Amino acid sequence: MKMAWKEIKKSKAKFIILGSIVFLVSLLTFIISGLANGLSMDNAALIKDMPAGQFYMDENAKETYNLSKIDEDTEKHVHKEYPDAAAFSIQMGFVVDGNDDQHSVSFVTSTESDLFENVNDGEIILDRSMQEDGIQVGDKLTNNQYSGEFTVKGFVDQKKYSHTPVAFISMDNYKEMYRTNHMQLLFIPGQDKAETINGLEAFSNTAFLDTIPSYSAEQMSLNMIIWFLVIISGMLFAIFFYMMNVQKIGLYGILKAIGVKTRTLFGMMWSQMLLITAIALVLSVSFSHLFNRVAPDGMPFDLGLETTLQLSGLFIVIGFIGATLSGIQIKRVEPLQAIQQGEM
Amino acid sequence: MTAFTVENVKKTFTNGEIEEQVLNGVNLALKEGEITALVGASGSGKSTLLTIAAGLQHASAGQVMFQGKNLTNMKQEEIRKVRAQDFGFVFQASHLVPFLTVEEQLLLMLDVSEKRMHKQEKKKRITSMLQLVEMEHRKDAYPSSLSGGEKQRVAIARAIIHEPKLLFADEPTASLDSKRSQDVMELIRELTKTLHITTLMVTHDEEMLPYADRIITMKDGLIV
Repeated sequence: MKMAWKEIKKSKAKFIILGSIVFLVSLLTFIISGLANGLSMDNAALIKDMPAGQFYMDENAKETYNLSKIDEDTEKHVHKEYPDAAAFSIQMGFVVDGNDDQHSVSFVTSTESDLFENVNDGEIILDRSMQEDGIQVGDKLTNNQYSGEFTVKGFVDQKKYSHTPVAFISMDNYKEMYRTNHMQLLFIPGQDKAETINGLEAFSNTAFLDTIPSYSAEQMSLNMIIWFLVIISGMLFAIFFYMMNVQKIGLYGILKAIGVKTRTLFGMMWSQMLLITAIALVLSVSFSHLFNRVAPDGMPFDLGLETTLQLSGLFIVIGFIGATLSGIQIKRVEPLQAIQQGEM
Repeated sequence: MTAFTVENVKKTFTNGEIEEQVLNGVNLALKEGEITALVGASGSGKSTLLTIAAGLQHASAGQVMFQGKNLTNMKQEEIRKVRAQDFGFVFQASHLVPFLTVEEQLLLMLDVSEKRMHKQEKKKRITSMLQLVEMEHRKDAYPSSLSGGEKQRVAIARAIIHEPKLLFADEPTASLDSKRSQDVMELIRELTKTLHITTLMVTHDEEMLPYADRIITMKDGLIV
């Protein structure tokens, strides 16, 4: 007999309150997680979208790619050894459009590679967010460090770095603008283990993301909030079921006295927890995806299926642990205690 | 024929350094189908004896024999099974499950006793039991909408729906007025006689004694 469901039906208000709290906490968690992912993509989509491999920078650069200079001989040697390796550089800057409006961008240039947009001298390929700023293919853009004009060749999706759209330019244009003949970084795709390359320090994709200024600080703060919310939801379950169980000690005692198994009582509590969490999660996932649609353009929000499923699973596990901890009372309750009490 | 025996059962409660002997070696044999009333002053040990006999607490010494097995040696799960299948309980308060209807209370007991019955068979038995306790018209009611007497009728129906061999009743009429108490006792007598259930009942109400086949008086933890 579905006692768990019968109790929910009979005590709707109690369970609606718990469900609403779980819904609100999980909704907040999903939204913050979406914002964390969104900010992460806004900060480093250029790097995050690259395949697994190893990044290399000058070992004297103190893990700051801006200070890194890859020696030309080393670059040639690596290219010879790993033909699909790419040397690239990233520099913050700006472009000015025909209306004299300035737009912050991250200039990116690379050796010929499938991993980056390859552009000719005087051409520029921009992240699609620039199109939303009114820039069109064929528009002319300028920069005070560059003697010529950039012609917009096209747009690419999801290429952001340090919260600015990426602007792919040719190596020669880059060298002119930043008065350098050296690339900052080397990337060798498909390498699980770092090679020892003289004068260079290796970083995995994740380790390299952490070298991006503000990236780890930003992500750590948001992840801390997410974990805090997940723990709060677990505690809510524990406290709520504890209070409910305290109220039901007499009932549990009587049920045990007439022969109901302790595991049946646990099963009843677990099914209630699972049902409430599932309903709350379905609602919060729906609302967070709705939020994704109505969120202002300037708000980076990215809540993927994988994150949604991971967080949902985590909520269920935490709810299960919380409810189980509070359910220890069920195991302890003596039938006799209940009989000696009055009417429930 | 003897259905149940209590042999030299002792029970001592310890409160700090103070030890209190509540049962001092009680011997009791219940005959099949008989209603035995345990009477005595408060603190005489009658409720303690009933709960030990029903497997709800352990004796400090002695044996409780049921169907050739000693309940005092059984593991928790074994005792639970005996309680679910062979024992029925009626308490002072009805202790019905607040979120189950009258019909569902009985279905719960049939499920707990693990009776191998088809759904239809269960339904039929519940209906006939509700007819016996004259509660068929309230089968969809929740305990909160029942009167004290009605609740106790449902509690009795729940206690015997699975046709237990023994019914333990701990002051089943204590919360009822005189008229309702008599109704409930008549019902217990009628049902236990019809279904041939052995009953051990604790009561302090002398008006209930005529319903018992045997009256046992307890004093200071002993049967006198």
